[in-house]
Amino acid sequence: MKTLIRIVLKSAWHRRISLLFTILSIAISVCLLLGVDKIRKEAKSSFINTISQTDLIVGARGGPVNLLLYSVFRIGNATNNVTWESYEEIVALDEIAWSIPISLGDSHRGFRVMGTNTDYFEYYQYGQSQRLTFAEGIPFSEVYHAVIGRDVADALDYQLGDEIIVAHGLVSAEFAEHDDKPFTVTGVLAKTGTPVDRTVHVSLEGIEAIHVDWQGGTRSAFQLSAEQARNVDLQPKAITAFMVGLDNRINTFRLQRAITEYNEEPLMAIIPGATLAELWQTIVVFEQVLLVISGFVLIAGLLGMLTMLLSTLNERRREMAVLRAVGAHPYHILFLFVLETVFIVFLGYVIGMCLLYSLLVLTQPLLVAWYGINITITRPDAQQWFLFAVVLLLSVIVSLIPGLIAYRQSLQDGLAVKV
Amino acid sequence: MSATPIIHLKEIRFRWPGQSADFLYIPELIVNKGEHLFIQGPSGSGKTTLLNLLTGINVPRSGSVMILDTPLEKLTNIGRDRFRADHLGVIFQQFNLLPYLSLVENVQLPCGFSRRKRANAGDMDATALRLLTHLSIPDALLDQPVSKLSVGQQQRTAVARALIGNPEIVIADEPTSALDSDNRDRFLELLFQEAEEQESTLIFVSHDRQIAERFTQMVDLTMINQAEVAE
Repeated sequence: MKTLIRIVLKSAWHRRISLLFTILSIAISVCLLLGVDKIRKEAKSSFINTISQTDLIVGARGGPVNLLLYSVFRIGNATNNVTWESYEEIVALDEIAWSIPISLGDSHRGFRVMGTNTDYFEYYQYGQSQRLTFAEGIPFSEVYHAVIGRDVADALDYQLGDEIIVAHGLVSAEFAEHDDKPFTVTGVLAKTGTPVDRTVHVSLEGIEAIHVDWQGGTRSAFQLSAEQARNVDLQPKAITAFMVGLDNRINTFRLQRAITEYNEEPLMAIIPGATLAELWQTIVVFEQVLLVISGFVLIAGLLGMLTMLLSTLNERRREMAVLRAVGAHPYHILFLFVLETVFIVFLGYVIGMCLLYSLLVLTQPLLVAWYGINITITRPDAQQWFLFAVVLLLSVIVSLIPGLIAYRQSLQDGLAVKV
Repeated sequence: MSATPIIHLKEIRFRWPGQSADFLYIPELIVNKGEHLFIQGPSGSGKTTLLNLLTGINVPRSGSVMILDTPLEKLTNIGRDRFRADHLGVIFQQFNLLPYLSLVENVQLPCGFSRRKRANAGDMDATALRLLTHLSIPDALLDQPVSKLSVGQQQRTAVARALIGNPEIVIADEPTSALDSDNRDRFLELLFQEAEEQESTLIFVSHDRQIAERFTQMVDLTMINQAEVAE
């Protein structure tokens, strides 16, 4: 046994170049499969954990998924606004415990700017009913104050007291900046692992103030200074959407219907959990296709290894005859192949896992920044260990093919090989 | 001197799968202790087949292969492999060595498959080195990859491997056919010297009649093979 293991290792080392590439191809396919699985799970929990305890989100009528995406995930844009009158009328209803208005449309160096009020810091919840907390500073209390998410602070290296210039629209451009009305950072929120981390929060009045002298996306001829803008009536005329918490959840569906049937303007209310599930349903098909594809990539990797093993069979006949001559049984020959294959696949799998973890560490900040998916790096779960066992088992089965051929050859050849 | 048979073949009949007639039929062949047997015959005369029977790779259709008082045909497949590992050493025509093992590891290889040889060899490193020195392998080559050795040196290393652990029988299948005459004589010299020292019986197959005179016993396969060759 010890002899065989030594033979396998030395023989493998002797053919290390071709084995290296086989191991790499398995490593890459394992990395892909585990990566897809990881992202799938993380995306799901990241999605589900983004918002909590909000009973309804109300916006202009349109696609429910779209409303969820722009209001919670800061992805995409609203097609229409909600007038301030409708907002005030609805949140005045008895069933409603709290509400958070949201006004979107501007950005700061790639991060979305969201206008809201201080209720946001009090009522918004994410994950398992966690509330927002301040890492530093305090909420905004003034027109030109801003509270930034953790990632904004980290990425742009902002401290309390720094000034922020908000760009009009979502693409940062020199000519469309509200550079005459800078905001001062008064607070930095603690890390949440949700899109909140990548948001610049200002008051609704702030949003109103920077747009006072703008018309249809460009500056109007009448410019107002920051101080002058303060004195204008900064009551917003419209907001993008608002979140609502109810006193009693039982009323959720009734209120949802009431908002949908609201006469003054076409509105829509979604239940975040239900729409999240709906969104997830549309993604799940894609994600399963991806998983199946990566499964096939892994099988292709194993088949590549099989090809490699089969192609070396003939050159190794002499080796097998020598081993037979010194007393190896054909079972030993079979075992040699099984051991070598398991060794290759084991190494490939381990390298694939290392590859995945280093990739995760490297891409984690980018994934959060670009796609809002927060990947927590955890140990492999039971499912992944199970996959490990399945792949090793598969490798044993694959190795039986060249193994049994070599077994038969060595029975036929005996000690004499005419190669 | 009372003759103890080391090898005793009796009424051996063998045919390959799919053949309708016997390929090999040897009524009797005896090799006694202390003797060395030279087997001669042109290719196709059944040399390989005979060696396969002697080494327990194949079993005869009928008849008995007694080696060291053990009837090989009565052993299981694994039993015969173990018997070969314990009591036989084998030298091929060429490519005897595994390219990925060092010289010493190649020599020690049989000890990995046989507890008996391992016990006989004692200190495996010392024994391997002693054998290699006896077989005139320069020390400078010990750390070199096997492929750096000349064919003659490779064949002598194969002798060391066949002899390690004191097997009773050493089977050599045309081991000199790849050597020039100088190397051949030197090879034979050393092979005999070491085999004598260990009291191993040599079974030597070759078509080179010049070698035959060194042996105490010689058989011509075409003579002892009584099978009617079906054309």
